[in-house]
Amino acid sequence: MKNLIKNEFKLNLRSLILWTVIISGLATLMLFLFPAFKDAFDQIEDLLSIYPQEFLEAFGLGADGLDMTDIYGWFGVEGYLFVMLIGGSYAAILGSSILSKEEDDKTIEFLLSKPISRTKVFFGKVIVVIINLVLVNLVVSIALLIAFSTLGEFNFVVWLLYSFAPLLLQLVFASLALLISIFITKSRQVLSIALGITIGMYVIDLISSLTDSAEFLKYFTPYEYISAIYIVKDQQIKPLYLIISIAVIVISLGTAWRLYKKKDIAV
Amino acid sequence: MIKTTNLTKYYHKNARGILDVSLDIKKGEIFGFIGPNGAGKSTTVRTLLNFIFPTSGSATIQGLDIINDSVEIRKHVGYIPSEINLYGDMTVQDFLDYAGAYHKNDFKVKQKELIKKLELDTSRKISDLSFGNKKKVAIIQALQQEPDLIILDEPTSGLDPLMQNTFFTLIKEEQKRGATIFFSSHILSEVQRICDRVAIIKDGKIIKVEKIDDIMKARAKKVRIKTPDDIKDLTNILEYKRENGHVSFVFTGSIDQLFKILSDLKVEDLTIEEPSLEEIFMHYYDREEK
Repeated sequence: MKNLIKNEFKLNLRSLILWTVIISGLATLMLFLFPAFKDAFDQIEDLLSIYPQEFLEAFGLGADGLDMTDIYGWFGVEGYLFVMLIGGSYAAILGSSILSKEEDDKTIEFLLSKPISRTKVFFGKVIVVIINLVLVNLVVSIALLIAFSTLGEFNFVVWLLYSFAPLLLQLVFASLALLISIFITKSRQVLSIALGITIGMYVIDLISSLTDSAEFLKYFTPYEYISAIYIVKDQQIKPLYLIISIAVIVISLGTAWRLYKKKDIAV
Repeated sequence: MIKTTNLTKYYHKNARGILDVSLDIKKGEIFGFIGPNGAGKSTTVRTLLNFIFPTSGSATIQGLDIINDSVEIRKHVGYIPSEINLYGDMTVQDFLDYAGAYHKNDFKVKQKELIKKLELDTSRKISDLSFGNKKKVAIIQALQQEPDLIILDEPTSGLDPLMQNTFFTLIKEEQKRGATIFFSSHILSEVQRICDRVAIIKDGKIIKVEKIDDIMKARAKKVRIKTPDDIKDLTNILEYKRENGHVSFVFTGSIDQLFKILSDLKVEDLTIEEPSLEEIFMHYYDREEK
């Protein structure tokens, strides 16, 4: 399995670097725009006050929302969204392609002719996904560490949550995408479904915070679980959300693994 | 070495699979598995390697069950698929080392020897290789760990005649080393060239398992002669036709007999062709049934 993991990591390295640069680059860019905007906040707040309260809340602003004059609040509104959306997309793409690519490219015939069990193929690839996602967030966490400690008072818990809460969302998307890719192996199809989930869930998140009657929808979107408001205000991820996320990950991966073990792989 | 008992595979959507395939392949033999495209050759191979699961029936390789002991089996199997699809971004050398690392035994010496024999440039990226060169990579990755069983699915497609020669020599050497070879193909002449025994599969069913010599005896030739004469004695002659100054027929007797027939004719021109596999099936088995 070590052999597979090593090789798989190498094959995915280029895209890992690219995505890491994009995500951490955008986060850093937004963070370092903070000093320039800080002084103009009074005007911005006047400007924002003309919007309805629900609308502001949807974006983490308003009376109960984040304080944009504080670096943690600023990041929650202006950079964190990129990390969630782009990181989530990367996770979905990675999760959807890691197994199905072998079938789509027909290299699976080679792999399965070697003495490695399907269980090891499956979990070897899952491990590569986890390693890649951890690495992305690790780089983001370093960017955040530098920004938070130079632009404000450093808060360890908030930093830690901002750095690694997105990993939870990414793992949820990667697991769901991987499960789908067991059924649909055409790379392009599975990719659009995976990205559809990533964007779709975000839309659900917006709707659930915009309309009171649709508030229950928040349980169905991992964007809500790791929302910046919880991170800054509560300094925690709610246990219920943590449990739901872990359950989704475990059930998706468990189902995908069981199906993969018994699947006819004819390319 | 390989024993299958009523191995059956149905695909969904009524796609053809295999039905009651029972084979017994002995250790050390080169066993040909021949049939037209779509007859079930690849399905059989993929079932043996557990890429797909049989609907019913069972099979063992070296006494090990193809489903439950698949990983153990694959430690001792080298497989060359019909279509070669490898990781395009890797260099040949990296790929071969990656493939070898799945096996415990030392493969580097044999790998170098094979690379030299097949004249392969291992510094190149796989995606830059021609089809023939990709095939060579597939051959090396299968043979470098000196497997006990070599499964070949249409292995010569894409190789030029010279390389085919080298390949057959390699396979013969593997047999001498003690390997068993399961050789699936739709080209009779190449099976005839190296196999000891052959199973003929058609529409998913094994029609016959025979020694290659016996098949050869019954082997038909397509003969077309430009001659004004007619052939009187039609023993061993099928589909006798005369048109435009030519006679044509399928001859199922020996070459020696054919020469005797020809010597009685005024032959102006002559072509002798190998019939296609389908034609052999038709003529040989029609005759058997009669």
